[in-house]
Amino acid sequence: MDRRQFLRRSSAGVAGLAMLAGCTGAGEGDNGSGANGSSNGTETTGTGADSTATTGSASSGGTLRVATYSSFTGEDTAGNWLKSAFEEENSGTTVEFLTPENGVNQYVQRAKQGAPIDADLYVGLNTAELVRARKKLDKPLFQSIGGSLDGADGLKKPLRIDPKKRAVPYDTGYISLVYNENEVEEPKTFDSLLESRYEGDLITENAQQSDPGRAFLLWSIIAKGEENYLDYWEQLVGNGVKVLSDWEPAYQAYSDGEAPMVVSYSTDQVYYHGPDVDMAKHQLGFLNDQGYANPETMALFESANNPQLARTFMEFVLTEEAQSKIAVKNVQFPAVKDVTPSEEFDKYAKEPPETVTHSYDELAGSVESWVEEWSRLVASG
Amino acid sequence: MVAAGRERVNARRWSERLAVPTAFVLTVAILALVFYYPVLSVLREAVVRAGSLTAAPLVDVLGDPFYTGVAHYLFTAPLSIPAGVLDWIRAGFPSVEFGLFGFTAFQAFLSTLASVVVGLPGAYLLARFEFRGRRTLRSLTILPFVLPSIMVAVGFLAMFGQNGLLNDVLGALGLGQVNLLFTLEIIVLAHAFYNAPLVTRLVTTAWEGVDARRVETARALGAGPFRAFRDIVVPQLLPALLTAALLTFVFTFLSFPIVLALGGLRLATVEVWLYARVQDLELAEAATLGTIETVLSLALTYLYLRYEARQTTASGGTTLPRRALAVGWKTLRDPVRIGLAVYGVGILVLFVGPLVSMVVESVTGPNGLTSAYYEFLLDQQATTAAGTTKPLPAIANSLAFGVGTLALAVPMGIVVSVMATRGGTGSRLAETLMSAPLAVSGVVVGLGLLQTLVFGTTVAGYRFTAGGALAIVVAHAVAAYPFVTRNVTPALAGIDSQLVDSARSLGASRFRTLLDVELPLVWTAVLAGGAFAFAISIGEFDTTVLLAEGVESYTMPVALERYIGNRSLGPSLGPATAMGTVLLLVTAASFLVIERLGGRWEP
Repeated sequence: MDRRQFLRRSSAGVAGLAMLAGCTGAGEGDNGSGANGSSNGTETTGTGADSTATTGSASSGGTLRVATYSSFTGEDTAGNWLKSAFEEENSGTTVEFLTPENGVNQYVQRAKQGAPIDADLYVGLNTAELVRARKKLDKPLFQSIGGSLDGADGLKKPLRIDPKKRAVPYDTGYISLVYNENEVEEPKTFDSLLESRYEGDLITENAQQSDPGRAFLLWSIIAKGEENYLDYWEQLVGNGVKVLSDWEPAYQAYSDGEAPMVVSYSTDQVYYHGPDVDMAKHQLGFLNDQGYANPETMALFESANNPQLARTFMEFVLTEEAQSKIAVKNVQFPAVKDVTPSEEFDKYAKEPPETVTHSYDELAGSVESWVEEWSRLVASG
Repeated sequence: MVAAGRERVNARRWSERLAVPTAFVLTVAILALVFYYPVLSVLREAVVRAGSLTAAPLVDVLGDPFYTGVAHYLFTAPLSIPAGVLDWIRAGFPSVEFGLFGFTAFQAFLSTLASVVVGLPGAYLLARFEFRGRRTLRSLTILPFVLPSIMVAVGFLAMFGQNGLLNDVLGALGLGQVNLLFTLEIIVLAHAFYNAPLVTRLVTTAWEGVDARRVETARALGAGPFRAFRDIVVPQLLPALLTAALLTFVFTFLSFPIVLALGGLRLATVEVWLYARVQDLELAEAATLGTIETVLSLALTYLYLRYEARQTTASGGTTLPRRALAVGWKTLRDPVRIGLAVYGVGILVLFVGPLVSMVVESVTGPNGLTSAYYEFLLDQQATTAAGTTKPLPAIANSLAFGVGTLALAVPMGIVVSVMATRGGTGSRLAETLMSAPLAVSGVVVGLGLLQTLVFGTTVAGYRFTAGGALAIVVAHAVAAYPFVTRNVTPALAGIDSQLVDSARSLGASRFRTLLDVELPLVWTAVLAGGAFAFAISIGEFDTTVLLAEGVESYTMPVALERYIGNRSLGPSLGPATAMGTVLLLVTAASFLVIERLGGRWEP
């Protein structure tokens, strides 16, 4: 049994969890608090449950710890399929999931405070989060890896958002409008949303905290330009756009008929089709004939304990079989070219005529002020 | 033998003498560990930059017109204010903006007003009338308190939306349509939904504590019913009413998820901004907003406590007799009872409507009636897949944490009340500081716990972290005990001090006096506080999810939150509403049990 596993297994519920700050690679006296990569944590107290989310056992030799969001794991999810398929293919390995509530911020804050980072890999990172993780820390949180991965050359061009190749995309959603054609005509462009016939008709989400909301704002910046997007939004607010907290309340309000258009995903019809469904309520609006790609990426922690196994896992994620499984279970598009997830998926998941998105370099240094100025405008409106 | 016996008695006397101070020290230690230390670790960033004290972040926020509106001149150009005011008067008093803080305070004020207006008649009904189901209704008034905001949003949408139940009914009656969603009105209503029950409960408890003999004496001395009400009953209700109003103001001032879900970003509050700053890891600005919020809430609390201390109310004795609510045909001619009937209709719309709508949503799919969402819960329970959140452990954990919180928060709250009623100049300030768990933003508390207890600290080479069930119970108790204190302090203060003095002079220890004399007299208040403590624990989400993280100690609200993100039935809030219904039923049953048992135990 290696030392790390011993420590983890014996860490305690209430007090304890003596852990090797030194092995996190982030402890050594950078900014902030106390922990300075201290000696070995041999003493532990108590027994009982681990202090972080783990699933599966830690008994085998190779254990990969994957941090992700909570709906990635559980019954019939992409995460659980990956776990069992990967463990089957690489006997003796175990995949454990950790699902911190505040996502990647958990690890940025841990690194900042010199607290141990207990994962090898983060799955479910978007571009803006990568920007934040780099900006808030003196040392990089993630390693450059993408260039040397098998299967990375098959990635779709617009999804390669990180020139430094830390973040490797594994699937993507396209943000589009979903509208009810019983009530409104298809809005073709961003400008058309300002017309009086669409007054009070659009629901979107708060870019401060919602992925599709942020993507829609960023898309409007591509469409209208950095200089003009605030003017555009001022008019949109004037035309009665509703900005709700997140996708769930927004889509719920749309379903309840509060407004005939909502910012959502172009996979909408994968969920809603069939003889009982009124397809008029599930029409997609690709404004300016575009859709904004919001790729989900994975990245290897600088301090990973098991980088080799993590690399094998990432290559596995990019294989054709895994790509189509992830796409179907996550209801997102594959990140690798020429993968057909399933006939049904192919029929109902629509790709936009043109894909737009921001790269890491385009967002770095801008995204926070864009979002802040936008939110101030809406809140004062 | 005799000596040994005396020793035993002495030992008992000593332990009793030390019981109250020891409990107080323990309470302070718990607060320091799981509240003050974590919270101050966050808030210090507002005043410390690169190791030295600074006012820059505070000045930045207070001097920003987005946050403070015209008040920003106070911090940026105080000398220009007299001239500015003159200009304003000359311009004929145009409307003035007070920024995000101004709007937040404004909506909190309206919400408080609405909660009092909605809650007060409820207290009158419950305290002064007898009818079938009164006790059950009284127990259930606490239900809204435990509901996660996303469930309330679903219920409100289905009730008050454009195609909601209310508009269906109004349409059928030919009364036209109301459009409430995404307005300030709906936020005020949602806040009243959460907080009017607080007003009702606190005031009902106080009303039941009014000594009927004093009212009778006043009447016998010639006072009319109105005069007796004004001079005897009102002074005793006022502290409870103001406590409830204060709590409501502070809660709605710090409100955020419900504001965004029903009103949207255009009606954002300070807390929305604080949360966004935390997500961007702009912790200094978050800390600054949190500090200003905390200072404002604590200042209000302090002012209130000073007022409360000046009130002298006596409690105990016989409760006022209740009148029958239904009195045959006469019911229809009595203006008070007709008024209560109208009030009942309002309650149906505001409380029963959203709750029932939520339950209806849990059995309604895109194509009509369905049991799919409850089958989903059963499937989750049955599966062996790793990482699945199951309903039964969630229920069991919620109840266990709730009972644990009750057991810890009630003694903590009583001990603080005992200290607070001692009097002395410092005690107002001390009580204010000890009420801080009510006055600090939930986002700040969560961040503080994460940075301190969850991440841990390295002491002498060992890394110490805290998490798991015990940590959750302690954190819940810290959030909950001020409710016990707020219920118990006024009641304790109202006890005739001669009673306590005679018990003490007869040789009873402070602890004995408390146990045998005071607590029996204020038992209703203790019970009311205990019910709140349980409710706080059941409904708590932010802290639980941090400390439970991953260990199998998730609760019902945490399970519900995870089901929101579950797409196995498509993008639907169905599974979450099913879990919400389970939460509602389990909580309702628990409150009925708590109040029945508590009522029976009454010493």
